[in-house]
Amino acid sequence: MRKSSRTRTSLLIAAVVAVVAPLGIIAAHDENATGIYKTRHDAYHKLGDAFKTIRDQVKSGSPDLAAIRSAADVVNETSVNQFNWFPAGSGPAPGVKTRAKAEIWSRPQDFEAAQKLFADQAKKFHTVVAGNDVAAISAQFAELGKSCKNCHETFRTKED
Amino acid sequence: MAGWKGGKSQEIVLLPDHRPISTLSPSFHPSAFPSFPMPSVQIWDMPVRLVHWLMVALVGISWWTAEIGELQYHRYSGYTLLGLLVFRVYWGFAGSSTARFASFVKGPRAVLAYLRQLPERVADHSPAAPGHNPLGALSVMALLVLLITQVALGLFAVDVDGIESGPLSHLVSFDTGRACAELHEDVFNVLLTFIALHVAAVLFYLLYKRDNLIAAMVHGRRKIRDEAAAPHVRISLVRLAIGVALAAAAAWWIANRG
Repeated sequence: MRKSSRTRTSLLIAAVVAVVAPLGIIAAHDENATGIYKTRHDAYHKLGDAFKTIRDQVKSGSPDLAAIRSAADVVNETSVNQFNWFPAGSGPAPGVKTRAKAEIWSRPQDFEAAQKLFADQAKKFHTVVAGNDVAAISAQFAELGKSCKNCHETFRTKED
Repeated sequence: MAGWKGGKSQEIVLLPDHRPISTLSPSFHPSAFPSFPMPSVQIWDMPVRLVHWLMVALVGISWWTAEIGELQYHRYSGYTLLGLLVFRVYWGFAGSSTARFASFVKGPRAVLAYLRQLPERVADHSPAAPGHNPLGALSVMALLVLLITQVALGLFAVDVDGIESGPLSHLVSFDTGRACAELHEDVFNVLLTFIALHVAAVLFYLLYKRDNLIAAMVHGRRKIRDEAAAPHVRISLVRLAIGVALAAAAAWWIANRG
């Protein structure tokens, strides 16, 4: 390697590092939620993890049914516990980072209906995954996903 | 003399008695006089220009589809961008002279020298910089690196619900996929900053230096004072075909993972 091209290469590397390094710092932060905010945030995070597991397995040609079943347990458990995660006073407030919208408390019946739809679909999914019918699992997983979206559309703020 | 126009062929300028003007002085050539129209020569090959404008369109489409939550179209846009990036990097080694990284990426001395003459309020028609100037080269490389980083992060990104995800996200954990998604957003903001800088620089050339780089990126030609020093913008169709095949294969392979 000639000297000039070596200088050029190291300059390029320096440029890449200069651009990418600060991003690591930006990404490292996480919200410091406490109390019920933290409880439900962590639980929904676990739910997202479970959803990814199911999605990856359904997408793959030969799904690992055991992995889907244990993820379905998490989904089912979350769908039962979620009814306790939105007590009055746990909505958006100054200094709190939450995507829960005030509509949750201003339209309690609608919110409960949305929660119930998710719980019902989660239960059905839990039943379907006990069997070995991958097509049925896949179809019910789509229904389950719709029940998530249904609630998020009205009661969760868009990501900024 | 009125008959002389800038052009690729050397036209013979005739005197009123129909003798060629060169008979007055054998060394005469119109380009020796700055007031003469300068010949317009090709500096960008077709693939460079096409890829440039397709990238502009696809960055816009990717932005818009992400904003409105159309993630399937967002992924298609990303796969196409991936193909274009594969092609552009390949073309940086196999393309025409001005498309090649080796021809325009310069060391710090050249960048500093270029910076010193930047305030001069004239369009640079000197043959030393027929394509990217040394400063513009840094901008090109920054944008390419950012776009590659951005597309690569998107491949592994997972949304907060674990539902929408990039085509290779099954290879990483939920937390890693989430980190990729956060970085995907941060890198986009950095990318926007560099795009703004790029556009500002091009406008600076247009308005301050009276040098229309935008038109040059559209039709590929630029006025060069000394036609003999013009770059040889030749492309090999075989190499072009290989590049297109590589790009298509990369985009196709990724699309079938998603």
